[in-house]
Amino acid sequence: MITVTDQGNKVGLKSLNMNPLTTAANPATNELYASLPVDVRHALEQHARHVIVPRGQGLIQYGILPNQLMILNSGTVEISVPSPEAEVSLGTAGPGKVFGMRALVSGETPEIDVTTLEDCEVTVIPGQEFLGVLQSMPQVYFGVAKVLSADLKIADQLIRNCSRRNLAARKI
Amino acid sequence: MIKKVVVVPRELLMAMAYNLHIIENCLKCTFREHRLFCDLSHDALGKLQAIKATSVYPKGTLLCLEGQPPRGIYILCTGRAKLSTTSAEGKSIILRIADPGEVLGLTAAVSNTPYEATIETMEPSQANFISQSEFVHFLQEFPDVGMKVAQQLTHNCKCAYSEIRSLGLSNSVPEKIAKLILVWAEHPLDLHRQGGNGDIPIRVTLTQEEIAQFVGTSRETVSRVLGDFRRKGWLKIKGATWNIVNKKALEHLVTT
Repeated sequence: MITVTDQGNKVGLKSLNMNPLTTAANPATNELYASLPVDVRHALEQHARHVIVPRGQGLIQYGILPNQLMILNSGTVEISVPSPEAEVSLGTAGPGKVFGMRALVSGETPEIDVTTLEDCEVTVIPGQEFLGVLQSMPQVYFGVAKVLSADLKIADQLIRNCSRRNLAARKI
Repeated sequence: MIKKVVVVPRELLMAMAYNLHIIENCLKCTFREHRLFCDLSHDALGKLQAIKATSVYPKGTLLCLEGQPPRGIYILCTGRAKLSTTSAEGKSIILRIADPGEVLGLTAAVSNTPYEATIETMEPSQANFISQSEFVHFLQEFPDVGMKVAQQLTHNCKCAYSEIRSLGLSNSVPEKIAKLILVWAEHPLDLHRQGGNGDIPIRVTLTQEEIAQFVGTSRETVSRVLGDFRRKGWLKIKGATWNIVNKKALEHLVTT
């Protein structure tokens, strides 16, 4: 689990020391920024930091409330749902995917694990700052809804595929 | 003889269809504070009232089809609807059942992608339809609508992840059916009818075929499992009213 303190001290991370406004996540591929007006994007970018998360680190951990929003800029992560018998993989995700949104918006702990499969460049926006922008610029909600819809689609797709497989297996 | 005429204001008159009182005015809906989506600010409710189209549908109406381009969302006011998908062999699989207050077709409307499931009413139902473009404006205009949409989506995500966690478990069909009955037991038919013996009455509107579509088995297996539950004295079935006689036995079946 990565943590970034308010003072910019990073635990388990190497800072890229980039200028957030010039190296922000690519709006064309970022599922949050893509639907937001430029001024809203800039308001979020004011609080953004860029970090490299080494391979094998947990971006999100089941049951642990993240205190920041994370946007994957490069690299690949695996998303999985821990279960008592076996971890169920939802698949991998690449640049543009946003993590931590559900936990920040609802205050509920994550139901998934997100682990880096290689060194990943991640934009980190502290939770309090993100919620502050959300409050002052409600247009962000549309982006929030898009991110959550995308998460739901991934989960629903797996349920659908499993149900179809179960049905096919029963017919054999 | 003098006849007494009572004049009822027009706004208090309730239209009826399929034995269902139609709630035409969202601002006066008495259910809204108990519903996931509808407990909105006065201004947002006013806007909702202006942009929605209210309809009452009989049982078995298809609100939208899987793969169809999104036209808009449905706010389910009363009744229930099943969300289903189809296997390659044309078999129907019920993904979940939506309760009153849920927004249906939300993911498709927000992400502008085809509807992910076929939505069919399971009983006479009222739903308010809002076109996709009006809904997106509504969402962007009112922060509380944005918050409600986020809440609904996080709730749906939570349910989906919970479902996925259970996929990792190798549940038998009796376990799956017991689990389904225990979920229904969370909303008993009438608390006052629960006798001292601890029976829990529930109303089951799903047919055995639909239960089979829900748990991914055949109707014959559902019939056999329910027969087994009855023989063991765990369950009494009288039409759509089921009485859970031995909840502990069902819970034991699920946890072992």
